Amino acid sequence: MAHGHKIEIKEENFIFTPKAKKFTFMLLGLGLLLTIVGFFTMPKENHHAHDSHHAATEVEHHENAAHAATKHHVDPWGENQVNNPAPPPQVEDPASHKPWYSRVYATLLVNSYFFLIISITALFFVGLQYIANAGWSASIKRVPEAMASFLPIAAIVMIIVLIMGKDYLYHWAHYEHEHLKPGDAGYDKILSSKSWFLNSKMFIGGIVLIPLIWFLFKKKLQSLSVREDKVGGVEPFKLSIKWSAGFTFIFAFSFSILSWLVIMSVDAHWYSTIFSIYNFATGFVSTLAIIVLTVLFLKSQGYLNLVTDEHIHDLGKFMFAFSVFWTYIWLSQYLLIWYAQIPEEVMYYQNRFEAKWSPFFFINIVLNFIVPFLFLMTRDAKRNPKILVLVGTIILLGHWNDVFLMVMPGSIGSWAGIGLFEIGTTMVFAGGFIYMLLSSLSKQSLVPVNHPYIEESAHHDVGI
Amino acid sequence: MNHDSILRPRLVDSEKSIADVSNDICRPIENKASNLWKIGFTLSVIFLGLLGLTLTYTTLNGIGTWGLNKTVQWGWDITNFVFWVGIGHAGTLISAILLLFRQKWRMSINRSAEAMTIFAVMCAAIFPLFHMGRIWVGAYWVLPLPNAFGSLWVNFNSPLLWDVFAITTYFSVSLLFWYLGLIPDIATIRDRATTKGRKFWYNFFSMGWTGSTRTWNRYEVVSLILAGISTPLVLSVHTIVSMDFATSVVPGWHTTIFPPYFVAGAIFSGFGMVLTLLIIARKVMNYEDYITIGHLEAMSKVIMLTGTLVGLAYITEFFIAAYSGVEYEQYAFINRATGPYWWAYWSMMTCNLIAPQVFWFKWARTTPWFIFMLSIVVNIGMWFERFVIIVTSLHREYLPSGWVMYSPTWVEIGIFLGTFGLFFTFFFLFSKFLPMINMSEVKTILKNRE
Repeated sequence: MAHGHKIEIKEENFIFTPKAKKFTFMLLGLGLLLTIVGFFTMPKENHHAHDSHHAATEVEHHENAAHAATKHHVDPWGENQVNNPAPPPQVEDPASHKPWYSRVYATLLVNSYFFLIISITALFFVGLQYIANAGWSASIKRVPEAMASFLPIAAIVMIIVLIMGKDYLYHWAHYEHEHLKPGDAGYDKILSSKSWFLNSKMFIGGIVLIPLIWFLFKKKLQSLSVREDKVGGVEPFKLSIKWSAGFTFIFAFSFSILSWLVIMSVDAHWYSTIFSIYNFATGFVSTLAIIVLTVLFLKSQGYLNLVTDEHIHDLGKFMFAFSVFWTYIWLSQYLLIWYAQIPEEVMYYQNRFEAKWSPFFFINIVLNFIVPFLFLMTRDAKRNPKILVLVGTIILLGHWNDVFLMVMPGSIGSWAGIGLFEIGTTMVFAGGFIYMLLSSLSKQSLVPVNHPYIEESAHHDVGI
Repeated sequence: MNHDSILRPRLVDSEKSIADVSNDICRPIENKASNLWKIGFTLSVIFLGLLGLTLTYTTLNGIGTWGLNKTVQWGWDITNFVFWVGIGHAGTLISAILLLFRQKWRMSINRSAEAMTIFAVMCAAIFPLFHMGRIWVGAYWVLPLPNAFGSLWVNFNSPLLWDVFAITTYFSVSLLFWYLGLIPDIATIRDRATTKGRKFWYNFFSMGWTGSTRTWNRYEVVSLILAGISTPLVLSVHTIVSMDFATSVVPGWHTTIFPPYFVAGAIFSGFGMVLTLLIIARKVMNYEDYITIGHLEAMSKVIMLTGTLVGLAYITEFFIAAYSGVEYEQYAFINRATGPYWWAYWSMMTCNLIAPQVFWFKWARTTPWFIFMLSIVVNIGMWFERFVIIVTSLHREYLPSGWVMYSPTWVEIGIFLGTFGLFFTFFFLFSKFLPMINMSEVKTILKNRE
């Protein structure tokens, strides 16, 4: 039984066919067209924003009430809360003092951040396989490796968008220019107390430095992978384990900092300790979905002959497991904030329950939890390419929506929407991502023939 | 069929045959108890006696015998509860999650880790039960039972009640999983039995195991199903334990990272305890060929990983407190690091975040005595973590009149030491009467079994 039949391990060279190139260019071109049309047809007038201008005094009133409610947890018996319920905290619509083109920056931030966390968690997936000494994944290893090649592009776009657009996106960045002192009109104690972290220097330093460090690790792991293909031997493999361990350590800390700087600071008055893990879960499950889609695409083109239903099944399990993991983290954040009912924290969800955002809020749970949970439950589903493609696509849409919902309410409020511009830019990013993915897949053999565990991967069997 | 790379270290050393495995693992059960075992067991029973004594004293005189006061209403009791529940996580992690990840090195350590889980959960249960004071009416207070008081029901909104459900479910499933895994091995001992008594009892507990293909098939399917059930369970238990704190509005307790952070901490402390026990057991019982340096190295890596994750959570909490702009939150964390309990905080930081970083060096991961020392450090560190979370968050109220210090009385210390007696008494009995290593699984990973 043990070493059954011999499986031939040979190089496979993926050819980025003109047809596939044409497809990505069409996607890019169509996306660009929609982006341009979307830009010109984007609403330039905002009735909600004006409404909220009128309501500004009322909002202030509510904010004072919210501040009063803050003091409630000084009162351990919560008597006031019962007898004198505070009005629900309300957030001022950020659109009221922002121009219509803030939406351009916000949309670009959603896309560049989404694709950035996908690229970096793809590299994390590669590293994870090394430090866990995993054998089964050797035959699909090139896919996440190639996905990481979009990292520099996503990072550069994000850096440009954030440097140009930070005043339109972040309350704190706009506030920073005002140099207000205690007692001034509009002085915000909370924002001022955060200026040691939320300031332009820290921000720009962080968003440049962190992706740069990631990029260097990506370069190193890639060069080891190329060396393994060319020279062979176990030395590149052993070095890859060491570099992966170092990367994983640095990734955990740097990813947290980046998620605080770029996304959590959108709602600058709000905070949540689990936030970075939540962002990681969003990125990682999206990465897994793209790995599944790419592997199935390559198989349908006659590549990846070592990959069998067994590998696909395991990838399906990963997608299922991390969808549940995402839900666990989502629930931990939501339940604890809902239960404690502290005004500063509840505001975040209060805002997302309002008419404009509630559809996004509920769709988020349906697409990212209910669909993958129910569809991928059975063993057969995880071995069925049709179901995997369907669920993988839904997961990607769901997590795009997830990032959208993290960014929009706190940055541009009622200016936000999903129109041609959003669809177009997402298509441009997707097109760019697919182009980079396929072109870097064509540069190396799809099968890492010198990988010490390729033989294990070829004979992979999930057991029951 | 699977194919193993030559790079993979052997999971069982020195060319054991199938018969060797049965002989080696059954030896402690079939031979007379060694003197070392007798000494260890007697010591454990003495401590168990201390547990009985201090618990009786508590029950007769009330919770006033503990050092708790109007501000610090949870002290050593809940610290020890969380400490033991945390230790009770490694067993299921090793059995279930590593089974799902097809990590074969789990096979020679899962049995004792599962046993440890069950005993640790038993120790944990003592603390909240006796903290109720009048334990004899405990059933009404803990479980939603129809009762004579009319509409007196438990508070379904309370995470403390969720805890009751989570832990009892976890305990039942862990016990079932452990016992199920034992059945084929108990049957092996039955078949080898030379005395009447042994034949009778092992026959009774093997539940008529025949070893036919059909029973094996069912056994494997049930194992996988139980693994699938216990994986979310193991996460849910410590998630809900963390919610005992995190659903409150106490600064230092109410933080959203608590659920995954407690789970990581539980795995960390559980592996710490597994290492402590197994490094002794492999030496004393001559299991060095089964629990190899490779096993210790893998566990050390898990310690390093989870220790760093826990450290990341500490740093995140500290950062967010500083960032939050909430003065109470900020005070809670500054007070942890520099207040009167600073020594507890820095013990926690040193033991849990800094110390495991030595496992970056291969020497440290492969030297048993060193790993043993570090596993003790991890156990101490994780105990301090719970003490820091509970006591330093409580001892400063919003009003300075509620500012107090807390120290345990001899009764609390006695109960804590007593739980070690309970734990080790059961563990010694287990190591004498049941196979500490899963024979039937280990036999499947021998290199020369054909």
